[in-house]
Amino acid sequence: MNGLETRGKSRIVLWALLAAALILYGFPFIYLLLTSFKTPLEAISVPPEVFPTQWTLENYVSALSREGVPAALVNSVVTAVISTALSLVLAVPAAYAITRFRTPSGRVFIVAALVTRMVPTIAVGAPLVEIMRNLGITDTSFGLALAHTTISLPLSIWLMASFFEAVPDELDEAAKVDGCSRLQALWRVVIPVVTGGVAVTAIFAFLASWNEFLFALLLTSVRAQTTPIVIANFQSQFGLDWGGMTALAAVYSIPVILLTLFLQRHIVAGLTLGAVKG
Amino acid sequence: MKLRTRTRFPGRRARVGIAAATTLITAIALTGCGVGGGGDASADADTLTVVVEGGGKAELEPIADLYKEETGTTVKLVELPYAGLYDRISTELSSGSPTFDVAALDAIWLSAFADGLAPLDDLYTDDVKDDLFGGLVTEAKVNDSFVGMPVWTNSEILFYRTDLFEDPTNKADFEAKFGYPLAAPTDWEQYRDVAEFFTRDTDGDGQTDLYGTDVKGAVETEWLATVSQAGEEHMVLDAESGDVTIASAEHLEALDFYTSLLPYAPSGASQLDWAGSQNLFYQGNLAMMRFWGHAYRATPDDSVVKDSIGVAPMIAGPAGIGGVPGAWYLSVPTAGAKQEAAKEFVQFAYEHNDLSADTSLGLVARKSAFEAKSGEAGFENYPALLDTLNAPQTLPRPATPEWQEIVDSVLVPMLQKAVEPGADNAALLEEAKSQIEAIIQ
Repeated sequence: MNGLETRGKSRIVLWALLAAALILYGFPFIYLLLTSFKTPLEAISVPPEVFPTQWTLENYVSALSREGVPAALVNSVVTAVISTALSLVLAVPAAYAITRFRTPSGRVFIVAALVTRMVPTIAVGAPLVEIMRNLGITDTSFGLALAHTTISLPLSIWLMASFFEAVPDELDEAAKVDGCSRLQALWRVVIPVVTGGVAVTAIFAFLASWNEFLFALLLTSVRAQTTPIVIANFQSQFGLDWGGMTALAAVYSIPVILLTLFLQRHIVAGLTLGAVKG
Repeated sequence: MKLRTRTRFPGRRARVGIAAATTLITAIALTGCGVGGGGDASADADTLTVVVEGGGKAELEPIADLYKEETGTTVKLVELPYAGLYDRISTELSSGSPTFDVAALDAIWLSAFADGLAPLDDLYTDDVKDDLFGGLVTEAKVNDSFVGMPVWTNSEILFYRTDLFEDPTNKADFEAKFGYPLAAPTDWEQYRDVAEFFTRDTDGDGQTDLYGTDVKGAVETEWLATVSQAGEEHMVLDAESGDVTIASAEHLEALDFYTSLLPYAPSGASQLDWAGSQNLFYQGNLAMMRFWGHAYRATPDDSVVKDSIGVAPMIAGPAGIGGVPGAWYLSVPTAGAKQEAAKEFVQFAYEHNDLSADTSLGLVARKSAFEAKSGEAGFENYPALLDTLNAPQTLPRPATPEWQEIVDSVLVPMLQKAVEPGADNAALLEEAKSQIEAIIQ
């Protein structure tokens, strides 16, 4: 067996393993997607069939024409974008300050940020409802985005801090030698280096808001209700519209998949962090 | 040292654009508008906000429309998933200033929320009580006050396949085997006979593909109906005295009957819930099922049994017919800003309860509303619901704030063990008794 054949076989094995991993990890989504093309009865058949015997778009038509669905999709986008923007605007300078100034209060702050993640969400539900009402922002996308930011911000700070740690202080010093202020150094030099980190943080912040259920349940009613609540409404005390639920869930997954694909090159590029050339 | 800049990173113009877009989005958001637009519903004098479970919204829509037409007041129906409705209402009531004016509550939540609900005693005149099923009136009263007005109710009834029951060969074979005519069963013994008769291999491949009935292990209500059929007056516990009754002879008799149907039911009973049961029937795998009455009108068009479903009252045990009323109530929060207007809407909803009959679920709460439609095509389930809901052994579930916890942590796990082969039903009930006593103490 020559080297070429060995490499060919290795490649086949590698592709087979990749395919197996893809099927294993992707099966829940693939099954969801296949179910969304089944007839309503077949969608909940016992025992379940993987492939539809009769392909139909009926579930998509009924789900997307259901009252409140288009508005909920728009609300989800608006809320997630605002929440992501807020998370980045707050997390980037916070993480930069913590990693560059290395003060005791900074260390306390970053640990405290993590501790807030340990508080059960439902425990802050009642006070949050009260605060939002006093601010007059219940049932608004901005109010919900603020609430979602409380979830994503600690993780965003930790993520950004880890990326900033990987960037040597000499880079900031070099920028300052070239005439930059601290903020200019951050904006013009450091952030371009950690673009991938920002992308990763943005994705996590976006996903935290996109899929969040409990705050959306507690803080929205009609105007700002997001899609996870509408998806949950497909199951009621009186029945389960499994076909419609999977159709809307499939539609709801598309923006996240596109976002991840779009930002993928930034993520990979950011992981190398090869900006300093000796 | 030389800095290497990334050519792919957005340039100055792009960054300015991103910053501008972010600012714009934030500015729009700061206006506080979601896509629905408009102001705060609770602050609007001409609007009432009613929070309702997803499946029940359709029941209230015709009433809300008429209310708007007659009074000029808009009733905004806020649809929330059942799984989160309890948390939402609990959070809002505890906050002291709820965003809703009326809530549609599941019967089992009334006692848990009673402290935050306004009394509706004025609405409960003798005429009103006479037009409601006894179990619903009992259930609505918590701590000597009526805290909810029924808006629709449900009960399990018997569903059976008329194509099988009217088949001449089946009729003859059944009578020859059991000595009485094949018909929709009315009691436990008949139900077991019919279930046994129809459990068979219909295509000759050696595998059973038609079952007489199902046995649901993942939900508790059907067994609770059986407990009442057995003659128990206090299912699971006597909420007033605090005595836990789940280990009584009637509970055991009911559990023994319930599990005696396992040979005539598909495997996997411990995981079978309402949705699974319903689908087995719609697929044509079951000859009979005991199920909530609304399913009659909700049969999918592509079901193989669509045009061959018969309905009858819930079967009777030694003490007679017994079901569990599955009622929803309209309640008004004590801390609500528009209590009087909210009570007026609750009264209006009661007076126009019949409007809910023509909705997708077709559920109402008043006897008169059921009776008015009983002879109409498409409402064949109403006489069966009336007979079941009027039966003396159709009793409400215990009025205790811990009920949901008892169901989730004791009753369902106990049933799931009971439907496994070789289960000791008496021991399981004794164990459940200890667990429930620990919960309520």
